Amino acid sequence: MDTFLTLAGGFGALLDWTVLAFMVAGFLIGTFFGAMPGLTSVLAIALLLPITYTIDVIPALVMSASIFMAGMYSGSITATTINIPGAPSSMMTAIEGNRLMKQGKGANALGHAAIGSMIGGSVGAILLMAFMPLAAEISLLIRTPGKFALVLFALVVIIIVDKGAIAKGVVATLLGVMLATIGIDVLQPIPRFNFGTETLVEGIDIMPIVIGAFAISEVLIQAQTWRASIGTPDTRAEEMGIRRRDFVPPMSEIRRIGLFTYIKSAFIGYGIGILPGAGGSMAAFVSYATARSSSKHPEEYGKGSREGIAAAESANNSMCGGAFVPMLMFGIPGDPTTAIVLGVLVINGLQPGPRLLENQADLLAPMFASLLISALILVPLTLFLFGPWFVRIVSIPKGLLYSAIAVVALVGSYVATYSAFQMSLALGFGVLAYVMRRNNYSTVSMLLGFILGPDLEQYLRRSLSLNDGNPMVFLTSPDSLFFLALTVVFVYAILIRGRKRGIQS
Amino acid sequence: MNLNGRFARGGIVFPLVLIVVTTIYLAAAFDIRTQFSAAGDIGPRTIPVLAAVLMYAALLIVLVQEVRNPPEPEGDADGGSLLRPVLVVVATGAYIALFRTLGYSLSTLLFVAALFLTFGFETRRPVRFALYAVAVTAVFYGLFAVIFGVRLPTLAGGPI
Repeated sequence: MDTFLTLAGGFGALLDWTVLAFMVAGFLIGTFFGAMPGLTSVLAIALLLPITYTIDVIPALVMSASIFMAGMYSGSITATTINIPGAPSSMMTAIEGNRLMKQGKGANALGHAAIGSMIGGSVGAILLMAFMPLAAEISLLIRTPGKFALVLFALVVIIIVDKGAIAKGVVATLLGVMLATIGIDVLQPIPRFNFGTETLVEGIDIMPIVIGAFAISEVLIQAQTWRASIGTPDTRAEEMGIRRRDFVPPMSEIRRIGLFTYIKSAFIGYGIGILPGAGGSMAAFVSYATARSSSKHPEEYGKGSREGIAAAESANNSMCGGAFVPMLMFGIPGDPTTAIVLGVLVINGLQPGPRLLENQADLLAPMFASLLISALILVPLTLFLFGPWFVRIVSIPKGLLYSAIAVVALVGSYVATYSAFQMSLALGFGVLAYVMRRNNYSTVSMLLGFILGPDLEQYLRRSLSLNDGNPMVFLTSPDSLFFLALTVVFVYAILIRGRKRGIQS
Repeated sequence: MNLNGRFARGGIVFPLVLIVVTTIYLAAAFDIRTQFSAAGDIGPRTIPVLAAVLMYAALLIVLVQEVRNPPEPEGDADGGSLLRPVLVVVATGAYIALFRTLGYSLSTLLFVAALFLTFGFETRRPVRFALYAVAVTAVFYGLFAVIFGVRLPTLAGGPI
């Protein structure tokens, strides 16, 4: 009952016009960033991070949730219109959506993407709200050795799902772990790696890393691969004179896809969202492949399958709900967006864990409500209202866009602490991330290593300290043993079995 | 891509730089002194040392892969000239250096103009160029200073 009242309070909080304005603004920003190739919702939230220093925690979290949902959905826009996924999670949508676009049915494809996103996003948000109390109960059972094994599991999964370049994934993650060791030690009041300077005693804040890795590096990448505009919409889209009602798919097509496909994809997306590092791309891919293998119309796949669009979009939006579970319960982000939302929590003095849900659920409930309202209402509403303009969104001049992003990123870095040092750090991390991206090192792994590194160290040292330095505690403690076994299973399933299958195919 | 090409692109240089950084990090890790220690404790230097050792191993594998294996698919910035990113970094460095001295308005106006030039935006239409630069500066002044109430630096004695 308490949970229900808290959640109801969350929806009530959205009635405050300021909070509502932040949610809608976040959704529109997320839609814009998600729809522009090269820009992602991660970048949008990264740019928002410094602003959270100046606004309350509820609007900041509400805005983050709506950006997350919008960004995941709107990647389908350019995936459909110009065959360039606005976000990596829309890769599968591009395969089917752009085929429909070329058949003059782009609006219909965008409509199906929106319905898939709406259903998947809503299911993910409802599952998040329904199972959060249970997840909190379960997380209370996990003790320190178990927490160490869980963080280790997360780091291993992040590395092995990373583009297949394991060694580079390890390098990027360790780089993040090493950066996180700068500053005061996690258990003793000893400064580490400050190299005699005052400025590094308190360690490196997450904000310049996020801004550098996602905003500055993107500006540098775009500067290198410069073209005046991002893309040209299929000319037929403009010639067609798209009307708003074209974005509403006929009921017969939705029935043909079937509610089961939407719901199954949403559950797949939610489950994958819980896995650290997996993210929307994997959710969309697995769901698309599953839908294709069980489809009554497999011949349509690759030629403009509406079912394929529905499965991919339902899964990647449902992933949003799943990704919040490990972040809120254990401080383990499921994907880069939730990693930055974790930064928003930490900036506002909130520590993830079951106690957060127990004691400060009133702060989280509006964020859950925002996730649901964004999926259920804002996704279809924005497509209906702004759909005809979506096909032209890519014609915004790139020079103007990236100059503006650079200003927001740098001034945002300054805003956090009123220090030019933070701006310099953001630039430094931007250059580092640029070099990493040029050479196929994942900046997301670096960020997650930075976030999880201190937890890994703290839980390891505490576990050993409490058990007289005996490392067998990790094998004798059931929760730890469970996560270590799970790590082995994942390594086997993804690395060894996956590689064998790859060789066979 | 041949060995020289990969070297120039950073495929080999970057791990070599990281080896140097890791060595500095490891040397600094050995300087960390434990304040107190009980039986079974592992000290504040253990994880950094372990991370450095693992980093060496991973970097060694990366280097061997870079030298032996056929070229991997290109990273995010496939092709293109390095000149523009370098210009952006120089402009950004100058912006950070002058931000507090010149104040938000003037430094941002100059920074935006530098970026427009780098990106070749409206360079043939000076009036539009200037208008867009002023507009970007004004819009973000409005966002940070007016909407979020952030105190942005001003030119000495100036209002904005």
